[in-house]
Amino acid sequence: MRWLAAFVVLSGAAFFLGDYHNDVYRKMLLWVTLALGYNFLFGICGQVAFSHFAFYGIGAYSVVIFLFHFHAPLPLAIVLGVAVCVIVALAVAIPSTRLEGFYLALATLALAQLFVVLLNEGGDVTGGTGGIASYRLPAIFGMQIRGPWYTAVIVFILLMTYAILVRLDRSWFGRACRAVRDNPEAAAAMGINVARTKVVAFTLTSALAGVAGMVYAFVDNTVNPPIFGLENAFLLLFMVIVGGSGRHAGAAIGAVLLFLLPFFLSPLVGHHHVLVFGVLMLAAILLQPKGLIGLWDRFSR
Amino acid sequence: MQDFLELAVSATASGCIYGLIALAYLLMIRPTGIINFAVGEWAMVAAFGGHLLLYRYEWPYFAGMAAVLALMVVVGWVTERIAVRPLVEKGSAVLAPILALLGVLVITREIISVSFPPDPLPVPFPFGIGRLEFGLVGGSYQSFFIIAVTLAVFAGTWFFFEKTLWGRSFEAVALNRRAAALMGINLSRVTAFSFSGGAAVAGLGGLLVSPNISAHYLMGVPLAIQGFTALVIGGVGRVEGALIGGLLLAFAEQLTIRYAPIPSGFAQGVPLLFLMAFLIVRPAGLLRARA
Repeated sequence: MRWLAAFVVLSGAAFFLGDYHNDVYRKMLLWVTLALGYNFLFGICGQVAFSHFAFYGIGAYSVVIFLFHFHAPLPLAIVLGVAVCVIVALAVAIPSTRLEGFYLALATLALAQLFVVLLNEGGDVTGGTGGIASYRLPAIFGMQIRGPWYTAVIVFILLMTYAILVRLDRSWFGRACRAVRDNPEAAAAMGINVARTKVVAFTLTSALAGVAGMVYAFVDNTVNPPIFGLENAFLLLFMVIVGGSGRHAGAAIGAVLLFLLPFFLSPLVGHHHVLVFGVLMLAAILLQPKGLIGLWDRFSR
Repeated sequence: MQDFLELAVSATASGCIYGLIALAYLLMIRPTGIINFAVGEWAMVAAFGGHLLLYRYEWPYFAGMAAVLALMVVVGWVTERIAVRPLVEKGSAVLAPILALLGVLVITREIISVSFPPDPLPVPFPFGIGRLEFGLVGGSYQSFFIIAVTLAVFAGTWFFFEKTLWGRSFEAVALNRRAAALMGINLSRVTAFSFSGGAAVAGLGGLLVSPNISAHYLMGVPLAIQGFTALVIGGVGRVEGALIGGLLLAFAEQLTIRYAPIPSGFAQGVPLLFLMAFLIVRPAGLLRARA
């Protein structure tokens, strides 16, 4: 019931917004979706990865490629897109989570770099540097979903992601993830398969990012390489840290704040808001490691 | 054969650059356990320093080089003071300074991109452009300069760690922090020194490579990835490992670009494949630490 109410309120808001604000609103919702998933991976499971945004891109590109290059029907394209994300995630996670330390960070950093290279070099399939544009979401049961109705689809994906993550967080798996984050040796001693927990968490959150990417593909009806670069991968990390890592509300607050901040900052600093983000993130780690949500906790007590 | 030898010289030179970046990581990882992904940005800062002093103000090369390296020592020291020491003193997990240094990475890059035009900027060659040939082996002045300087740096670092009291105290901290502190080694001084040294070595790498690739504000991350891959290949246990890892990586890259029938852009995937292969087969790197 609460979920239904949240769905109605969040998607209902879209019907009162103009085209421009609807666009901003949709992207904000997608950032929140991504930040929630990344928070599970980074904040709850303690894995430093830079590939989350690349998986967003893999999802977006693969659904478009399967639909319009291979002419697959929409459900099949979605399934295949998820499959691509899962396979890539497993290929990265299985070797790099076997080891202690930050090999995953490096492997995913390299993956994120490589992904953009592949997009640029992909020729016909990925459309090269220009990307793929001017396609449209195929009709579902003969209906074209557009405008605020498409925003409702995004709200649905956001709530679905959130529901999955909350469920997982409260299950034995979420506890296992936290145990692995806090003390891998102790977790292993308690019978948790540390490597498998890490691989499953990485693959699952990457697949969720991929699904969000598929929805994104039809927001602008264009996908191109610069969007999926490392900049946004760092931004995602900053969102979670500034908001408060390990907490769903923290990730959501961080995402909303850092997404909206450039709109207010641009009259002051032009395009250099990333500098402000860097300073915010450094300040958060040094002064307020629990993030904004930690501040909120302190004041509400 | 001629073709291969030509390639061997330039691959050795880029391997030396990767080796220097790997050494910069290693200097900081050994005593502190902190992986500093900002080394790539440090290389970038030094390249811009080179552009400013050597190109715009036309300083003599070696004076400019010394000034840039001195600047890098200060940069490393300040970074340690701001982003590492407060967290270490608070007793945070090792992840906290690593993340703080990611913040430093972004801040550094943004400061450079605000202060300089976005196009690649030239950095002059120390000995101009020319070729040196020893029988069959030939390459540019810069390649040989890079190789010579790198060998000198590695020899110096090896001597420092093996033969000097200061270097031994670094090793002691790397082996066991608590025990080293009990023996009267000043931990925070070792940390500060390792960051200054790391910044200087990374800066040297950036300065040496910059005449070939120009100073650009996005040059840091690829260098950071390649340097870390070299470190994984060589292993963090021994100083020589960094150089050997860098050379292996550079040869693999250049041979793939030259002889494999794939578009050159894909060659950027070679470090990733190498990294994965090494993580599966030989996670501790090629060289084992001496007992």
